[in-house]
Amino acid sequence: MVGELAGNYSTIVLMFAFGIAAMAPALILSRMISPRKRSNPVKFLPMECGQVPSGEGRTHFMMQYYPYILMFVVFDVMAIFLYAWGSALLELPKSATLPMMGFLAIMFGAMAFALYQSGRRRIW
Amino acid sequence: MSVIAPKFKLSEFIKSLFDNAFWGLLLMVLVGLPAVFMVLFVIEMPVINGELLTPFLALSWIADPSRTLPIVHAFMATDMFRIMAFPGFGFAALLAAGTIFIERKMLAKLQLRVGPFYCGKFEGILQLMGDGLKLISKEIIIPAKADKPIFWAAPVLFVATAAAFVALIPVAPGWVVADVDLGLLAVFAVIGFFPIITILSAWSANSKYPFIGGIRALFQMVSFEIPLILSLLGVVILTGTLNLSEIAASQSSFPWIIFLPVGAIVFFITMLAELERIPFDLPEAESEIVAGWLTEFSGMMYGLVQLGTYLKLYAFAALFVVLFLAGWHGPMVVPPFPAEILTEGIVMGPITAKIPGLPLFTQEMLNGALWFVLKTVGVIFFILLPRGVFPRVRVDLLLSLGWTKLIGLAFVNIFIALGLLYAGVLGPGGLQ
Repeated sequence: MVGELAGNYSTIVLMFAFGIAAMAPALILSRMISPRKRSNPVKFLPMECGQVPSGEGRTHFMMQYYPYILMFVVFDVMAIFLYAWGSALLELPKSATLPMMGFLAIMFGAMAFALYQSGRRRIW
Repeated sequence: MSVIAPKFKLSEFIKSLFDNAFWGLLLMVLVGLPAVFMVLFVIEMPVINGELLTPFLALSWIADPSRTLPIVHAFMATDMFRIMAFPGFGFAALLAAGTIFIERKMLAKLQLRVGPFYCGKFEGILQLMGDGLKLISKEIIIPAKADKPIFWAAPVLFVATAAAFVALIPVAPGWVVADVDLGLLAVFAVIGFFPIITILSAWSANSKYPFIGGIRALFQMVSFEIPLILSLLGVVILTGTLNLSEIAASQSSFPWIIFLPVGAIVFFITMLAELERIPFDLPEAESEIVAGWLTEFSGMMYGLVQLGTYLKLYAFAALFVVLFLAGWHGPMVVPPFPAEILTEGIVMGPITAKIPGLPLFTQEMLNGALWFVLKTVGVIFFILLPRGVFPRVRVDLLLSLGWTKLIGLAFVNIFIALGLLYAGVLGPGGLQ
């Protein structure tokens, strides 16, 4: 049973492996036939539109993303629960939808709170 | 103007050709042929026409066209053929290449340019091949302080992940690489890898523009994942299955876009954002941050990322077709094969070669694949179209669009689906 399941999904992994096996030679071939003779330190500087690069490459900057992260935590987990319910809905009795609606109502409350927080720009 | 190298001598050139041919032959005889025989000895051969296929039989059958067909049939039934050629990598890469060319020409026409024109006699038809040759012969330059293993691996992983996405798409009845029960969830799992690869490559480049682009790509893809997942729930509610082949098969009388237009629109918009297409191309905004997270990629690495991007575009368009536009269903336009072809074989020209069982694909499969490709090309056209029409949106507008409006519309879509089900329009006792 488990083996059968893994066998079904193994073709996805095989396709992934084929992608690697087919594309890595392209890089190797390119490395083999492309010129790489002249070299100087300037050539390997990071791209900064012709200027001499200054400062760190991996900079720190604020992205003001916290309310959205809150919502991601709320919804990413919820969506998979909704799929478990949605795919079995045709077999379930109609009364089984009511608790789901309650669940959604709680989630909407959380979403409204997160949206309210995202609107309060002065606390960012 | 290119000139021949100054020390060129024709005799040495011919000698080098002979040298190369000699070493090639020697290597083939000493290494290649033994390797082939070892592989043939080890691999399991199929049973064809009641005989166990041996390397000797296979080689002797290949010499005779009328006996080659069983081998071809057996090969086409294997996973290898599906992964490499038809519903898998080869087919998707072909469509992706066509998409690149059509995008360049169509965008040029929209903006009153001519686009690629000189390469190839007709309308620059060989431009893509020329670009490929150019990319593969260009030097790969890696920034000095980059994290080299990750930087090398990122483009390959990007293509491979896009290929894994392609593996889940059913093209015709029974023609899918991985026919899994939780196909839709597997799609979400594969999509979840794209932001990781993007941010890894952006981080490893150790340069400012890729880093900013990578952060933007991460935000955009993560934000739009939620409306993407929620907008497809309506289809799952109406079909009661997560298997993509069954979802496509359930639309034999009408496509779901008729009943769930809201979900289709939300999915299309999130698709644009996941693909980093205009108007959501902030991660590679040319006029702001050079090329975003692709800035430091040069030569074939850039080519691989482009290939992965267009494979992903094909896969998303195909997913839209499977979920909302009835997949392979359509009027039967492929004429039925004459019965004598199946039994007697095709008579070719002055030399009579009777090869029974020649149509390698069934009529249903050809028709399904034709309709699937037509619909996919239509959806790809609508994905490409905004690039000639719309400007780019700001990042805060993008995020608030994804998090407030699209999620709300996705829930509206879910309630529409529930209403249709409980009002008895669809589902058991309803239209289907």
